[in-house]
Amino acid sequence: MPLKKKILVVEDSKLVHKMYELMLRPHEIVHCYDGHEALQNLGDHPDTELILLDLNMPRMSGLEFLGHIKADPVFSLIPVVIVSTEGKEEDTQRGLEAGAAAYITKPFQREDIVEVITRLTKTA
Amino acid sequence: MSATLSKPPLAAERGDASSPKLAEAKLSEALAQLRSLLGEAQQLAEVVQQKVMGSRKTPAAAVRADAARIEELERMLEASQRDQQELSDQLVDAENLAGKLMSLYVATYQLHVSLDPVEVQNAIAEIAKDLLGASSFALLIKDDVEGGCEVALSQGVRDGSRFAGQHYMGGDATVDATLADGILRLEQQGESEALAAVPLRVEEATVGAIVILRLLDHKATPLSEDRDILDLLAAHAASALFAARVYSKTDRKLRTLQSLVNLIRGA
Repeated sequence: MPLKKKILVVEDSKLVHKMYELMLRPHEIVHCYDGHEALQNLGDHPDTELILLDLNMPRMSGLEFLGHIKADPVFSLIPVVIVSTEGKEEDTQRGLEAGAAAYITKPFQREDIVEVITRLTKTA
Repeated sequence: MSATLSKPPLAAERGDASSPKLAEAKLSEALAQLRSLLGEAQQLAEVVQQKVMGSRKTPAAAVRADAARIEELERMLEASQRDQQELSDQLVDAENLAGKLMSLYVATYQLHVSLDPVEVQNAIAEIAKDLLGASSFALLIKDDVEGGCEVALSQGVRDGSRFAGQHYMGGDATVDATLADGILRLEQQGESEALAAVPLRVEEATVGAIVILRLLDHKATPLSEDRDILDLLAAHAASALFAARVYSKTDRKLRTLQSLVNLIRGA
């Protein structure tokens, strides 16, 4: 299994994109700024191995995007990790019930993200 | 060394068997010969034993040597485990430090990457929200014309707060003190709404403040642990914002002048 994974980041914060870029080296990052753009990009990157997804975004929210992904037979097996400032128990529950493989709250630490990526891409 | 033991003569061989004295003498001689040979054999055995002992320790000595070696190995193992633990702790510290430095780098980068005032304000908001975990905050810029401060940016501010409108005219003791003396305050005091008041400095002057009003409920660490990022905001946010505003104003003026020049040339 190659060490370098392709990870799709769906996030409206430029600062968080930059954080991922540094934290997730040497993985390949595909940057998208909302759910709509991510859906369009996913077709060009069918070898995506993991998706990091924010919830509050313009145009299409994270949960809406997740619904589309899980309904698609091609992409439904890609593990999705929600990374959000929404940290209540019911938010986590809602995300996991919608099909997310993991839920991380912001502000996050590098090891939180790296651990989840290592775990999910090993079993993927 | 070799030794031969001659057999005593049989009675039939002895011509003088009838002489008991002679027989006794010969027997004594044979015994003496036997004793001498036995002595030689004992000497030989001692030599062999000495040689064997010289090349091999006794079992008790070997056990003592093994025990000493085991003790030494155990000491080496303990020292190695201590070293491993120390290295592991250092690795955790280094990773934490790397995480903090990464956050600081990204914050600085985002503050200075654009000369668009809106982009700089967005960067400040993202730092407050995504790095500090603030759910409610306001960015104040001193207003030299009308007095007080312009509320340049606010998020999650409740209605009725002093920071809810377009202008802050003073009244929050912690924020007013920070605006006056330019000192970062990290504790909620008295009636103040602010959890933290971060001065915005350009050179020696305090030109505004970032006021943190509330943190996300799930934020695990106190704001005091984010001191480095707060200091960075104090040092960089104002200069980035002012540079962007000055650039934006200059750019507007330049475009107006260019339009005038074009108009005159056309006329």
